[in-house]
Amino acid sequence: MAWIETVVNGLLLGGLYGLIGIGLALVFGVMRVVDGAQGEFMVMAAFFAVIVLAAAPDLHPLIIFGLAILFSFCIGYVYQSWIVNRSMQSSDPLAPLLLTFGVSIILRSVMVEVFGADLRGLQLGSLSRASIAIFNINIGVMPLLTLATSIVLFLLLQWMLKRTSFGRIIRATADRRDIVRLFGVRPDRVYACVMAMSVALSAIAGLFLAARASFTPFSGVERLLIAFEVVVLGGIGSFWGPLIGGLALGVTQLVGLKWDPNAGLLYCHLLFFIMILIRPSGLVASRS
Amino acid sequence: MTLLEVSGLNVFHGDLQAIFDLDLRVGEGEVVALVGANGAGKTTMMRALVGLIASKQGRIRFDGAEISAASAEDIARAGLCMVPEGRMLFDSLTVLENLMMGQVLRRRGYWTLERVFELFPILAERRSAMPRHLSGGQQQMVAIGRALICNPRLLLCDEISLGLAPLMVEQIYAAFAQIGKQGTALVLVEQDVKRASAAADRLYCLLKGRISLETAAGAVRVEDLTRAYFGA
Amino acid sequence: MHLRLVSGVVASILLSAGAPFVLGDGALRLWTEALLILTMAQMWNLLAGYAGLVSFGHQVFVAAGAYALFLAAEALNVSPYWVLPLAPLAAAFLAALVALPLFRLRDAYFSIGIWVFSEIVATLVTKSSLTGATAGLPLKTSSLMDLDWFEPTLFWIASVQALAATAGLLLLMRSEFGLGIMSVRDNDVAAMSVGVDVQRNRLIVFVISAAGCGAAGAVNFLSNLYLSPASAFDVSWVVNMMFIVVIGGIGTLEGPIIGTLLFFALREIVTGQLGLSGGWYLVALGSVAVGTMLWSPRGLWPALSARWGLRFMSVERKAPRLALQDKPNND
Repeated sequence: MAWIETVVNGLLLGGLYGLIGIGLALVFGVMRVVDGAQGEFMVMAAFFAVIVLAAAPDLHPLIIFGLAILFSFCIGYVYQSWIVNRSMQSSDPLAPLLLTFGVSIILRSVMVEVFGADLRGLQLGSLSRASIAIFNINIGVMPLLTLATSIVLFLLLQWMLKRTSFGRIIRATADRRDIVRLFGVRPDRVYACVMAMSVALSAIAGLFLAARASFTPFSGVERLLIAFEVVVLGGIGSFWGPLIGGLALGVTQLVGLKWDPNAGLLYCHLLFFIMILIRPSGLVASRS
Repeated sequence: MTLLEVSGLNVFHGDLQAIFDLDLRVGEGEVVALVGANGAGKTTMMRALVGLIASKQGRIRFDGAEISAASAEDIARAGLCMVPEGRMLFDSLTVLENLMMGQVLRRRGYWTLERVFELFPILAERRSAMPRHLSGGQQQMVAIGRALICNPRLLLCDEISLGLAPLMVEQIYAAFAQIGKQGTALVLVEQDVKRASAAADRLYCLLKGRISLETAAGAVRVEDLTRAYFGA
Repeated sequence: MHLRLVSGVVASILLSAGAPFVLGDGALRLWTEALLILTMAQMWNLLAGYAGLVSFGHQVFVAAGAYALFLAAEALNVSPYWVLPLAPLAAAFLAALVALPLFRLRDAYFSIGIWVFSEIVATLVTKSSLTGATAGLPLKTSSLMDLDWFEPTLFWIASVQALAATAGLLLLMRSEFGLGIMSVRDNDVAAMSVGVDVQRNRLIVFVISAAGCGAAGAVNFLSNLYLSPASAFDVSWVVNMMFIVVIGGIGTLEGPIIGTLLFFALREIVTGQLGLSGGWYLVALGSVAVGTMLWSPRGLWPALSARWGLRFMSVERKAPRLALQDKPNND
């Protein structure tokens, strides 16, 4: 029974991982850029929420979340427009990778200096620790909400990409960024919107993370490797890949920890490493 | 009425110069053929005209406005559009979605989705197909249709017949006759001289980045053309 | 050219030989640290700038060298100096081991993959009591060293390493092998078609790059007389390597030298003069790196040498510079 509970909790954790991975996957899918700073944006949103909550304790959590997401959306837009877009002009594939990695270090160090390295949490009262019992298994409400939100966001994103004209424009730009200009589309602006969405998605992940556990300025980089693994494991180019990858890694982590409490993320890393060697295209067959 | 007027155009690929001091004009509703051997500079010139190549000097006036420094997006918005060499369809989009990309510019005109489907009925049947499942000729139709939906005043068609079966080329050139009837000016870039000159009013020949011949399409002599095409 | 090289080497040797007698302890330690980081940076530069492989996991080789040193010294009960050569060997061995699976990954996948590998090794080492677990290892045979000459000896070893790294890279890149490497970087399919053995070249460069870091890592922890896994596997190692190379000029030999000087200058200014805490120094370094990547993507050295026509050790390689719009067509 305890194992089933572990697996279930692993799936719930996987929801969070999927959420962290989807922003990264979106940016990579559209722009072929691996964004090393996604983890930091996640944590920044959490800090933003903590600050706002401290300044205005009576605000409803959803409003705080909304503000944090809006803030992150704007940050993402500026980040792409001023910084990442410029590094994409050179056709050197190393450039954006190194640049975003550099930005992540700046952001992280600033956060450490400004906020300190202490653990923080986003106190949402009893909701943070509430749990319900389904079939004799204790399931945390927050984790359940996280998984549910994750699935909803995946569905929303897929709908947006497949059925709206903006989604069409994004896909076309991802296919051929110079030809799309012949139809009046400015690739730089498309990229900025995509990055903004991606950072907003990471923000949501960060908010959930803060609500269910404590975080420090280092929580981003700690999760970054997992996020990469989620995306690659799930399969680059597949849409539901990051969620599947997240679920797989979530279960692996918790089952691994139950078996070997000192392992940390070891089993996730091992799974990732083995997967890329035997099946580099990922768990879900990719189309690209 | 001159729609497009190019004077003294020089185009560079990095440090290499590809087009030398080129003059060219296209009138309203005219069909102009641009022929030349492989490597003569035809595609480079087209890409420079639509703004995809920034390293250029010289004057390009379209519809009265100077566009040599304009961005590709603005040039498209002004009504100068291109069917690129190699079709360059959007591979993750269906046939219909590819065509719909032409609507992004929101230029009003004769060409709508329905009218493109009339022009190329096979596309209507295969509207949900992905480009990789289409034949070369069908892909070319999608590429042309996509550009038509932009309702351009001048359409540059780069090597439409490349890699297509003769029958398919016939079909497509028949469609061009229809397109011309709507008053759209056309520049047909081709290696196949006969096909291009048959469809055109005027003809330019490009050799190593320079215009080697400019003439009315019907009046050209074989010897002159051969010399202009291959060099003396 | 050879005259310049030889005179450069001789001058460096003379300078390093004399330095410990002139510099005070603090300054000597600083220079030792600088030389070690320079070696590491050149190794990262070799891999990234010349072979085109960006590694986010090079800290594993730093750690491998250090652990090899500490464990061997304890096991064989000899002065650490004797087992120092084992450090690069251990790192090289580890690299050779993981190269086969890792080379199946391209670009960003490789970068992340090697980082994951580093984390795996770090976790295993931190869990195992054989390697001292979380507490790490003290240098058991430190008593077998002459501690009077400790600082100078480390300085000399670090100098030799840095010199070997830079001069070695120069010779390597000037050789036929070097050309092969650069061709693989630019277009490995084309390189293969002219007979360059891509996998073998990459492997050699990867192993050398690892060995150099292992050697430098061993000396670094030797100077601390203590090795903890947290600091050995710290991603800061590769972050510093990366920043130095990127700021100085990736793919040049002079670049990392400039980068290292700037690295330390910045540290001194921010923590010393301005009295700010360590985190701000990272912010400053990161900002310089990001700024360089945005406005002078090839680094400071190429910009400086272009401006003032400086030539020092020219084995520069330029990354492909096609602007997206100007694709040359078959026309």
